[in-house]
Amino acid sequence: MKARKVKGLDADGAFEENARRIVEVRLRELTALASHALDDGAVDELHDTRIAAKRLRYVLELAGPGLGRPAATGARVARGLQDLLGEVHDCDVLLARIRRHADRLRAEDAETVRLRATRPGAELEAEAAQHARNLDRHWGLEALTAFVTARRKILYERFAREWKALERRDFAGDLLAGITSCSG
Amino acid sequence: MAKARKIPGVGPQSRFRDVAAASVEVRASEVFGQMDGVLDIEDIERVHDMRVATRRLRAVLEVFATCFPKKDHKQLLREVKELADALGERRDPDVAIAWLSDIAAELGEEARPGIEGLADDFREEQRDGNDLLAAGLERAREARLAERLTELARSARIEVDER
Repeated sequence: MKARKVKGLDADGAFEENARRIVEVRLRELTALASHALDDGAVDELHDTRIAAKRLRYVLELAGPGLGRPAATGARVARGLQDLLGEVHDCDVLLARIRRHADRLRAEDAETVRLRATRPGAELEAEAAQHARNLDRHWGLEALTAFVTARRKILYERFAREWKALERRDFAGDLLAGITSCSG
Repeated sequence: MAKARKIPGVGPQSRFRDVAAASVEVRASEVFGQMDGVLDIEDIERVHDMRVATRRLRAVLEVFATCFPKKDHKQLLREVKELADALGERRDPDVAIAWLSDIAAELGEEARPGIEGLADDFREEQRDGNDLLAAGLERAREARLAERLTELARSARIEVDER
């Protein structure tokens, strides 16, 4: 996801004013994306929200000397969101990976079993399936899938709860007011 | 994980371009100060520390983009991203292997063959990732990435019409 361009930056201007402009834009990006990610909890939307949280976190960490305590507090919140969404993303990546790995094992087994046919085109005996070599591997992969799927759901629900709580206490409004009073 | 060093001499009224220069200098020195032992797959924290430092440098380059000559900035940001990607190629399997090892212990003997098979895939990726990282570090060294970042930082301090 490409970051939105920040207008009106002045390289010769004061650090605090430029930092405030960047924080405003990054904060708006995060709030727009997070609300959208909550609508359906889709993989791509959550990934974009994580990137937006990361960008906000980094600019707030950099802006600390210019924007004071509100920036530090905001950076902690953004980091919390980034970490949580990072764990959700790790689950999504791992689940896709387990599926690919299991599919490969199944394909290998099918080929092994197919080769047990006595001659091309001959009927295959069910007994041939006993020669599949990867059967003992599937239990672990299924257990892992169940665990990671459940963990992903718990993490997503935690994110949804935390984001709603941030919205209720107007985290974005407070942060903007805080950094504006610091730079104003 | 190494804590980010404070950027010296920065205050609310500092010129944006001066903060940009100081930030790039400090963050770039953090990246290249983490190179020792980064290819040792027995010590996965070194790659992690260098990757974190690279992310911080990349963030600084993006936040202060307006302070640098456009062409040099674009090229150096691309090279820093490539270095970050190379570190990621090693770090991602490092993390997966460590995590699967913990989870296999918890899930018990019956789960071990499946999880070990998956971990073997990640070990292969780890070796490939280490080769990619070695090549990435060599490229950065040959391209004098550290020195050119220092030059970029210096250029930020010069007014646009003086460039």
